[in-house]
Amino acid sequence: MKISLNWIKDYVEVKIPPGSLADKLTMAGLEVENVSLVGGDTIFEVEVTPNRPDCLNMIGIAREISAVLNKELALPRTGKLSKADAICDIKIEDKKGCLRYIGTVVENISIQQAPKELLKRINSLGLRAINNIVDITNFCLLETGQPLHAFDYDKLAGGRIIVRRAKDGEKIVTIDDIERALDPSILVIADAEKPVAIAGIMGGKETEVTASTRNILLESAYFDPIIVRKASRKLGLSSDSSYRFERGVDYPTVENCSNRALSLILKEAGGKIVKSSDIKVTGRNKAAKEIVIEKEKIDSFLGTDTSVTQCKNIFDKLGFDVKVDKQKVFTIVPPSFRGDIVQEVDIIEEVARIIGYDNLPLSMPSIKVSNISESKEIQLRKKIKQILMAQGCSETVTYTMISQKNLNDSKLSDIEKLNIVNPLSQDQEMMRPSLLPSMLSRVQFNLNRGQKDISLFEAGKIYTNKGEKETLAVIMTGVALRDWRKLKQNNVDFVDIKGIVGKVFSGTGIQDSAVSYKISELPFFAGENAQIFLRGKKIGAVGRICQEVLDAWDIKGASVVFAEVDLESFYSGSFSKKKYFPVIEYPIVTRDISLAIKKDILFDEIRNIVFNDNNDIMHNFNLIEEYLGENLPGKEYKGLVCSCKYQSKTGTLKEEEVTKVHERICQSLIDKIGAIRR
Amino acid sequence: MAWDFQTIRNQAQKEADSICDNTSLESFRIKYLGKKGLIPQVYASLSTASKEDKPLLGKNANELKNFISGLIEEKKLSVKDTINQSSKSNIDVTLPGVANDLGHSHLLTQTMDEICGLFEKLGFIVQEGPEIETEFNNFDALNIPSNHPSRDGFDTFYVDQVDPGDKDKKLLLRSQTSPVQIRVMKANKPPLAVVVPGKVYRPDAVDASHSFMFHQIEGLLVDQDIKFSHLKGLLTTFCNRFFGDNIKMRFRPHFFPFTEPSAEIDISWEKGKKDWLEIMGCGMVHPQVFKAVGYPKGKYTGLAFGLGVERIAMLRYGIRDIRLFYENDKRFLEQF
Repeated sequence: MKISLNWIKDYVEVKIPPGSLADKLTMAGLEVENVSLVGGDTIFEVEVTPNRPDCLNMIGIAREISAVLNKELALPRTGKLSKADAICDIKIEDKKGCLRYIGTVVENISIQQAPKELLKRINSLGLRAINNIVDITNFCLLETGQPLHAFDYDKLAGGRIIVRRAKDGEKIVTIDDIERALDPSILVIADAEKPVAIAGIMGGKETEVTASTRNILLESAYFDPIIVRKASRKLGLSSDSSYRFERGVDYPTVENCSNRALSLILKEAGGKIVKSSDIKVTGRNKAAKEIVIEKEKIDSFLGTDTSVTQCKNIFDKLGFDVKVDKQKVFTIVPPSFRGDIVQEVDIIEEVARIIGYDNLPLSMPSIKVSNISESKEIQLRKKIKQILMAQGCSETVTYTMISQKNLNDSKLSDIEKLNIVNPLSQDQEMMRPSLLPSMLSRVQFNLNRGQKDISLFEAGKIYTNKGEKETLAVIMTGVALRDWRKLKQNNVDFVDIKGIVGKVFSGTGIQDSAVSYKISELPFFAGENAQIFLRGKKIGAVGRICQEVLDAWDIKGASVVFAEVDLESFYSGSFSKKKYFPVIEYPIVTRDISLAIKKDILFDEIRNIVFNDNNDIMHNFNLIEEYLGENLPGKEYKGLVCSCKYQSKTGTLKEEEVTKVHERICQSLIDKIGAIRR
Repeated sequence: MAWDFQTIRNQAQKEADSICDNTSLESFRIKYLGKKGLIPQVYASLSTASKEDKPLLGKNANELKNFISGLIEEKKLSVKDTINQSSKSNIDVTLPGVANDLGHSHLLTQTMDEICGLFEKLGFIVQEGPEIETEFNNFDALNIPSNHPSRDGFDTFYVDQVDPGDKDKKLLLRSQTSPVQIRVMKANKPPLAVVVPGKVYRPDAVDASHSFMFHQIEGLLVDQDIKFSHLKGLLTTFCNRFFGDNIKMRFRPHFFPFTEPSAEIDISWEKGKKDWLEIMGCGMVHPQVFKAVGYPKGKYTGLAFGLGVERIAMLRYGIRDIRLFYENDKRFLEQF
């Protein structure tokens, strides 16, 4: 909101430079965002917080300044008005929408230009001159914060005012020449026939005050903030008037401002008040509640040492009705325009604000140990991120809202999802039920910008109508390790991503034996893919994204591998406590086995046979090489070279001991899965 | 047995001269000093020598041993030099090493971890809460009036799911991390000191400075005697640790429904320059909030604060466009 320093000076003495005043206002809670010099006046742009509608006018700001500068506030005087002989025909039909309506008919006015002083005031705040009547209503709005409206009385059908909801199909052309369709959610001022103004927002063109107007009806009213706000949003129309009604006007000011305007009208436009009515809807005007607070309470809350006089002076200047007793207890009744002051803390804030937060002391709290502890999830998540970063994956943070098209493109159309009721656009119509679309979109984004080798991960949430679930996704394309000295520079493959996901398990203390993989049939994967099981429970999937999905995402010429792990299930799994096992110093004996086995035999089966042999010297079993091609017993065979490492916990192994176990294992492989030794 | 010490010496000298690596040096050592080497044989012959030959033989044996040992020491040094020499000439030490690329933590994660870490050092505990929230936790309990505009669909996203606690209402995407305050207080009695990082949502059209999804960090300290001066002390400490001791800062009165008194904190990087940047909101927990979580009236006071992570990171790293955070361009990610 704009304020004029010259205008303010009508009500309070300001001797400090504008810059200092701006600082002081800012530090009292009225943030001055801009200061400019306009034709000998200083204009402040002030941000008024929503709890302070009383500051949306010059008097309100002047009152704050009087408290901050400790100067007296001089309010404008309104001369006595003659009483009207007749009543005005006003009816409030919608008692929720309008709590008070004062209508006054002034006859025989002369429309002309407003006086120069008044024009200067409203011009300084950016309002154009229209005619003396309209300019006076605008002046009073800016001065007191109470919006007024003047109708051409002769154009009101039946000379009536009815405050009611608009009927379906009713229309009005507002003073900005735009025809607006109304409906029953919108409060209007109507005459005997039709709406003549949108209550609290804008008047109608037909009944506006023009050069030919002779008689006027001046409206000063209290309209319901919510109804005005909703109508304003619905119509996409806001005004100086609606801005103030939405935030709430002051009930007594409805009358004071009406009188102020009428006295100015009589003075500047002549005429005579002939009819007047002040219609109040009962149930309002409740007496403000007393707030009782000890000075001691103020000091202990702020850590200050104030004096009774200092506090009382602040309350006086802010317009509070305050009594103080010998025990230094204040009894305070806040003014009607300070609806934000209802309890002790509100009073404390006023003292803090006017003294200035910067003048209050500071100290460190002693923070006690609470019984809350950081969750296991947070610690594990950090660990997982470290592991993935050590594997060369970078973390992403992606939008959690996606579109149905994103799902379709990822072959996830049938997945359960959570829609947004009021999405910004179709691109963000739902909360993502999977991280796959987010990750694919980031791969595509980077590839399109010339990046080739991409390894990304995200520990983010997925959402369904059952709630939200933390999930880990890893996506890779290109070459994982790029260096000319390394021979293998193949594009990332199933085994690369499986290896990385495996590190997440082993790195967080989950034993290899707890994790298993089974071929899956997820639609977005190509042939090479598996579901991941942790202790028999499905917790994720890993594999190569199928060509159809890559095409849909416009990812060209790259192989993309992806893994998703349900972290919620992962976290809830039991993590074995770490325990020390003595390091064995006896030597390890290594024996390799070279086998030809049928291609459909899984490595897991071989490993199970190896580890199921009843011995206590098998230390480690690993695949060294897989071989496909010639010199095998048949096309249905593959060659495997595995290394067995043997170690005893009690002594140096003898050749015969190792040979006995090793041969037995080899024989098992031959017997159970038809392996052929090579 | 008689030994021709001079010939042995000459022979040894000759052999030593041709030693050029550790292997030949080792076989030389074994030939002379090894268990079955020449020197032990010489010493062994002492036992069979006559009484008058013994002293001279002994003396010669010692001298020979010293001579051979000397040769070995000498050669050890020269062999080392040779190896050093040859390795120096064979490798270009300026060639890049071979290693896996390191992944990068997202700048938002780094910023959140750093901020939470500072509060953790002061005794705060990190807590998290759900993004899908009830209207009660996101608004009612935070003293936001039932008709407040921020509850409109213009300012808050609602999801297509009924609130199980209130069948007339839909669940929403939290518009602030503050509902976690409510969850923490409902589940725990003071003393409490928590920091809450997380995603929040507001239906703002995306541009360089707006995003419908962003991150906040919320802090809450509740005990029996928390004062406004503590709010100033705690957050001044935080700002100095995070932004440096050289900054200027001010607490500017502001309005939030869930705190009273409330303030915004502005900082200025350059002393003497009045270029204030708003960095966080804070205040003393409003009594209505304590009432909503069922704390006895007047028993506790508390302070709360909240900041936008993107904003802080943008200020600190000179990032001009908020969208960079969510684009995840590899060249952006790898800068941090």
